[in-house]
Amino acid sequence: MEYYCRLGDGHLIKMTKEDMKNSIEAGTNDAAERGEIPALTDDEQEFLLDIMCNPQKNVSVEPGNEIVVTHDIGTIRIDGDQGNSGVGIPVSRLAGILIHERAFGTDTMELGHIDYSFKPVKPIIFQEQQTVERVNLLATILVLYGAMPNLGLYYYPDGPFNNPSERFQAGDVAGALEAQEKAAEHAHRDMVYIMKNLWDVGCEGVNFDTTAAAGDADFYATLMATEELKRDTGLVVEMGMAAENVIGIHGSIEYKGMRLAGLYPHEQVKVAEKAGVDVFGPVVNTNTSRDMAWNMARAVTFVKACVEASDIPIHVNMGMGVGGTPMFETPATDMVTRASKAMAEVAKVDGI
Amino acid sequence: MGKEELLKAVEDALIKLDEGALMKACDDALAGGVEPLEIIEKALTNAMTTIGDLFEKGKMFLPQIMVAADIMKKATAKLEEKIPADQKPEKLGTYVIGTVEGDVHDIGKGVVATLLKVNGFDVYDVGRDTPLQNFVDKAKEVNADIVGASALMTTTMVGQKELIELLKKEGLTCKTMIGGAAPTARWAEKIGADAYAENATEAVEVAKKLVGAE
Repeated sequence: MEYYCRLGDGHLIKMTKEDMKNSIEAGTNDAAERGEIPALTDDEQEFLLDIMCNPQKNVSVEPGNEIVVTHDIGTIRIDGDQGNSGVGIPVSRLAGILIHERAFGTDTMELGHIDYSFKPVKPIIFQEQQTVERVNLLATILVLYGAMPNLGLYYYPDGPFNNPSERFQAGDVAGALEAQEKAAEHAHRDMVYIMKNLWDVGCEGVNFDTTAAAGDADFYATLMATEELKRDTGLVVEMGMAAENVIGIHGSIEYKGMRLAGLYPHEQVKVAEKAGVDVFGPVVNTNTSRDMAWNMARAVTFVKACVEASDIPIHVNMGMGVGGTPMFETPATDMVTRASKAMAEVAKVDGI
Repeated sequence: MGKEELLKAVEDALIKLDEGALMKACDDALAGGVEPLEIIEKALTNAMTTIGDLFEKGKMFLPQIMVAADIMKKATAKLEEKIPADQKPEKLGTYVIGTVEGDVHDIGKGVVATLLKVNGFDVYDVGRDTPLQNFVDKAKEVNADIVGASALMTTTMVGQKELIELLKKEGLTCKTMIGGAAPTARWAEKIGADAYAENATEAVEVAKKLVGAE
């Protein structure tokens, strides 16, 4: 007998139970070997196999196992078209938040702007302050302000500093490192400036989304911004990562004695805690050429280790190409619900 | 020491980024009768593959890879002195790489370009948000073996399709590779690209296969 499954790119395939079992074992072992963490137990692998082989198109958690659901950039997901993984219904950002709160039952939301990086918010900070005020007058749920640290915007040709990629290719390692250190200082300053201004008008929290996308210096800038914001404001800080491993583009940047390059989710969260992060969002990347049984087992293994190591709530990132879901603009509900159940009931996350 | 042990010593020294040990290991291998070309093609190449794997797993970082490339270059130069002119190893190939127009993402493409370079390709990085014609012009200018196009987003990956069409229209016969966050192997197949790579380390291996180096 064969069961429906998908590849990491969303393509529908069929697999035997034995193949699915082997994929789950290989996926968890891959995570265990890379992260130097325990693989899933035999019982947990069997549970995942049951989820994958469930004959229903969609699955859900058992009553009592429900978890918090929040959305990053959901503000514009109604308004945005398929190019933004949205549905193209023209509504304002405020309406987008209220639709998520009142129609979709979202537990917390995020206000973000269309460019979605922190740096471009600086020149439009007054527009964002106005929107935060309006949102807070109508929304009941916690609304975070969210954007990407995006250190890439501080490098030539988008920013004032040398582009590390160009410096590396020219053999100028020192230049590449110096550019990253300077960019981190500026990104830290910009994130703090923006969030302090939003705090002044009643913003309740910040979501640093896709942290470390530009490597360890990107992570460092965000940790420094977190530390300062926790010291000077009452903002709640959620930190969502960009990848399962902090790519070492600098390689030797440390935060409070911990080298940031190469950290996996269960190590990333401990550094985030030191900076004062309140909610942590681990990311595990989907391999688009492997099946989803492999991807899901791998993602759950990393996230379970992160949950066990953490002293703060874990809201795993799930969606287009991360967290055991296929890389597709609107991933199919069969795999999204399977991954969600696995994260809730095996990894024991606090939220998605 | 036997030949395998001599080669292993060279490999280990490069992985440990120990320039002194690498030079000594090369001298020992030569003195032990190992052909210089074999030292390059087996020990040094294997070491760079291992270094790529370590990078992909987050156990080694970009600056260290640059150090590895630098000391490998010195070791290769030393070994090439012992190789007759007609047997000297050639560059793996010429690779033109860039991120397609409309997409400003630079980081991933830059990592791929760096790894290709340290693994022996002549790399021409045409940048990010690059007009498609620039890829074509550069590929003609340097007689590229491979043109690689990166796109992070679903909104910009269509540029990869247009680039492959443009390369064909202009009569270029070079191989094509795509990568990025949203593109997949299925997308590569659909648009007629010769290859797709999931990450930077895989990109090096795939590129080597495309030029017949593996």
